[in-house]
Amino acid sequence: MNIPIWPGSSSFQPGDTPFGFYDTDSQFQTDADKFSQFCALRLGYPIVDIELQNINFYTAFEEAVTTYGNELFAYQASQNFLSFQGAPLTIGSANTNLPKPNLASVIRLTDQYGVETGVGGSVDWYSGSIYLTKGVQTYDLTDFAAQEGVSPGDLEIKRVFYHAPPAITRYFDPYAGTGTGMTQLMDSFGFGGGSPAINFMMMPLNYDLQKIQAIELNDQIRRSQYTFELVGNKLKIFPIPKGNVTNLWLNYIKKSDRNIPYADTGGVDVITNISQVPYSNPVYSAVNSIGRQWIFEYGLALVKEILGYVRGKYSNIPIPDAEITLNQSDLIASATADKNALLERLREYFLETSRSELIKRKAEEADSLQKELQYIPFNIFIG
Amino acid sequence: MALFGGERDISLFRNLNKELLGDIITQQCVYYKLKLEETLTNMYGESAGAKYYYDPVILNALIQRPEQEYTTDEILGVDFNWGADFKFFRDDLVTANIITEVGDIIMYLDGYYEVDSVVSNQYFSGKNPQYPYNENPLNPGLEKFGSSISIICKTHYTPADKVQITKERI
Repeated sequence: MNIPIWPGSSSFQPGDTPFGFYDTDSQFQTDADKFSQFCALRLGYPIVDIELQNINFYTAFEEAVTTYGNELFAYQASQNFLSFQGAPLTIGSANTNLPKPNLASVIRLTDQYGVETGVGGSVDWYSGSIYLTKGVQTYDLTDFAAQEGVSPGDLEIKRVFYHAPPAITRYFDPYAGTGTGMTQLMDSFGFGGGSPAINFMMMPLNYDLQKIQAIELNDQIRRSQYTFELVGNKLKIFPIPKGNVTNLWLNYIKKSDRNIPYADTGGVDVITNISQVPYSNPVYSAVNSIGRQWIFEYGLALVKEILGYVRGKYSNIPIPDAEITLNQSDLIASATADKNALLERLREYFLETSRSELIKRKAEEADSLQKELQYIPFNIFIG
Repeated sequence: MALFGGERDISLFRNLNKELLGDIITQQCVYYKLKLEETLTNMYGESAGAKYYYDPVILNALIQRPEQEYTTDEILGVDFNWGADFKFFRDDLVTANIITEVGDIIMYLDGYYEVDSVVSNQYFSGKNPQYPYNENPLNPGLEKFGSSISIICKTHYTPADKVQITKERI
């Protein structure tokens, strides 16, 4: 068996690459042979033989293009993932569409705070009531949970509607100590009970506010407060009910509802992770010359690596009555260093074009321009 | 079946050796294969009269030639010895269709060297694919592994007139 090595030229045919991602791209077809020639010459051909075949060069070329696209689109995906996450899988290719930032993911992330504060979120709040019994101050919510059909451990009280009557209802209360009551006066004339408000005097709003505040402050200091304690499953209310007067209403959630870690997508398949962002391999012919040069250099590093592995399968190569050592370690070390440097350079380049960097640079540019414009002398208008 | 030293690996060695010997080192010699059927021999098996050779072939080789030796014998006087080892890549000889044997002549730098012995004992991974011992029930397919790398001809210098290839004396 005689395995031919690089003869000095090649002719690319579709199907010559392992994956065939770009085989039908005419620019790729043209550049594949040029790339092979470039690599062979860079490695010393025709002064020395290159123990590779054209398909090795094509493989490196294809991988370099794919790596470039991977780095580019991975960066793009990470930059815009908050906008992509939750979008339907059918949104179409991200390669050719301009990403539009949105707050969908941010709002979804903040739903959890809305749940806790009762101003939104995705966890339902339920209402229920317990009957207040005369002279009973403490109520076991285990019974309430059973009444609601909820496991006691699954119930979390979010709101207790146990408040003092609003001060406005006692605005004309002669016992409220505000001095505005007219009822006694009307009683004196035999008109009492006809209406709670016989005579009104429109007062400035600040006056009403002060009166209401006075009523509330009076209640807070001189009277027993409407309040409660919720410890464990026991609800303790103050003041102690003086009669079987009413129901005490409660808002609660089911903890199990809150523990559901999945967002409701309405049955639509959506992008849930970075691997589903609809980027595909790049179109080689659409890559500009800056990108192509990177691809050539990265491909050359891959070719070095392949050649290093070929020459390094055996550390010593037999020749007549002796052995020689080839340059496999140099090739592999150089290839590794080149690849790392190229990837680092590419990532830095992408970072420089990130949205935040571009906006920051634009702002700096505007500041500098503004500063520069300040040096222009102001015209003095002479009429 | 073995794991290392398969035909592809050997093909790589072949390429490397041909590049090394043919393009980089480029030591060359001319091999004269003795034409035994036309060379007459005496009763002792020595050549009698003219020697005949096949057409010469230029070969690449690694050539190791030590310094000349001048030995002195009390009866015969001063003698001259100059040995040389010619290390051929075996595939080159296969391509040239040459089987090296004792008595063949190698010309190197206008000197003639007669082959004293032929050593063919350098096998990659210790295997010679010509001896796979087929059908080998334990390791079938060994004819595709290993390689006989070299053929080394150990020679001694011989005067040109004895070789009778070129006209040295009137």
